[in-house]
Amino acid sequence: MASLVDAVTRSRVWRSFFRHGFPDNPLDRSLVMTTNIFFHLHPVKVNLKSLKVTYSFGLGVITVFLFVTLAITGTLLMFYYVPSVERSYGDIVILQTQVPFGQLFRNLHRWGAHLMVLAAVLHMARVFYTGAYKPPREFNWGVGVVLLILTLGASFTGYLLPWDQLSFWAITVGTSIASYEPLMGATIKKILLGGPEVGQDALTRFYALHIMVIPAFLALLIALHIWRVRKDGGLAANET
Amino acid sequence: MAEVKTEQPFAQSSMKTYSLVELVRGAPTTMADKGPDNTVFAFPVVALLELVIALGVSALLMIVALLKNAPLEELANPLVTTDPAKAPWYFMGLQELLEHMHPTVAGVLIPTLAVLFLLAVPYLDRSRVGAGKWFGGAREKRVVWFTAIYALSVMPVYVVLDNAFPVRELLRDALPPLLAQAVIPALIMAAIVAIPVFVVARTSGQKATARQILLALFTLLLFSAIVLTVAGFLFRGPGFKLFFPWDMPDGYNPLNNF
Repeated sequence: MASLVDAVTRSRVWRSFFRHGFPDNPLDRSLVMTTNIFFHLHPVKVNLKSLKVTYSFGLGVITVFLFVTLAITGTLLMFYYVPSVERSYGDIVILQTQVPFGQLFRNLHRWGAHLMVLAAVLHMARVFYTGAYKPPREFNWGVGVVLLILTLGASFTGYLLPWDQLSFWAITVGTSIASYEPLMGATIKKILLGGPEVGQDALTRFYALHIMVIPAFLALLIALHIWRVRKDGGLAANET
Repeated sequence: MAEVKTEQPFAQSSMKTYSLVELVRGAPTTMADKGPDNTVFAFPVVALLELVIALGVSALLMIVALLKNAPLEELANPLVTTDPAKAPWYFMGLQELLEHMHPTVAGVLIPTLAVLFLLAVPYLDRSRVGAGKWFGGAREKRVVWFTAIYALSVMPVYVVLDNAFPVRELLRDALPPLLAQAVIPALIMAAIVAIPVFVVARTSGQKATARQILLALFTLLLFSAIVLTVAGFLFRGPGFKLFFPWDMPDGYNPLNNF
């Protein structure tokens, strides 16, 4: 067994994937972080204070994990969904009644989205109350504010897609709030909806924003946000 | 043959061996001179912690998804308005505000100010004192308790009172619309926010720090948003009138709006 593991980890294929040895020593534990694109967003070493559960409650990690869950379940939903006034509602009904685990995946996507909004708000409150926005983290706080707005945008655009009474009237009410802007209101509403009221054009635009534009910006800014935590010296907890 | 002058990026010998680049005031932002090294390698500790969080969130989300189905009402029909027609829950605070003042104030001015305030936070409080510590100190903690309790008690009273005696309706004929609909309701809201901030600024003994004022403002914003969201989401029923969530007419259940 040991020689088999040895043979695998010494093979050219394995070594082309992983450019470090087994991470049981300081050098390889550093390399595992710096040579992996996901790990490299983290620092190589972290302060024990920043790992205390009652400091951060892991809210940022929870938010990111919910985003990943939503991307996966959302992709599966896309396989069965067409953003069309004629088809969308029927697609959801078929998804829930005939597609194996379709209802479950829709539930995961729906409740995950609500939880992500909640987790992002709680994360912001945590960062504020621990004074973690203070210099040198001003910029990353701003990135976080933009991420919260994008999260709301992702949830709001997804809300329309089932094309039932709940989504139709929620988006009608929601976009009418935007139209109260005195100078640009009517224009903003028209850009969002593609017309005077919620219809096929609005569904097309909300779908494009929901599955492509907003997730792309979210993924990019989440990466920036986490990387910046490392660049700014890790969590603020280690400064106390 | 003329000698070609070769470029020399660095002088071979200089009389000057070092120079003063900059004086840094205040605490250093780097990890240097921060006491004993209290760090561990992120791998595998952080990776395992993140895995635990991922498994925990997955388990919780899976349980919720198995117990409760996502709502699906009838096919969208632009001709039949639902009663009440509500925005998604995280915008219900704004929709609740719309009941109390001019839509441009409630739907545009207040949310814009809130976002600008959030973006400005780290530039208003430039001190690094208390960074990385919950609240920062005993007095800061009291500021949060005071403003949280204030918002949790004053905002529901505001919602109920302004619903019973709507300022904008009572003044509709007495004053020009701009004053009655926008200016006076906005001033009432500004006063509700200003009073506790004034109390915090005045009772601190010495001059209140920027952090204390921001703690008061952020807590007021957060807890007012919670009260307004709960009021709009749970307590508004048919006709967008106030009811107890367990006592809604026409069998309306606000929890079905998630």
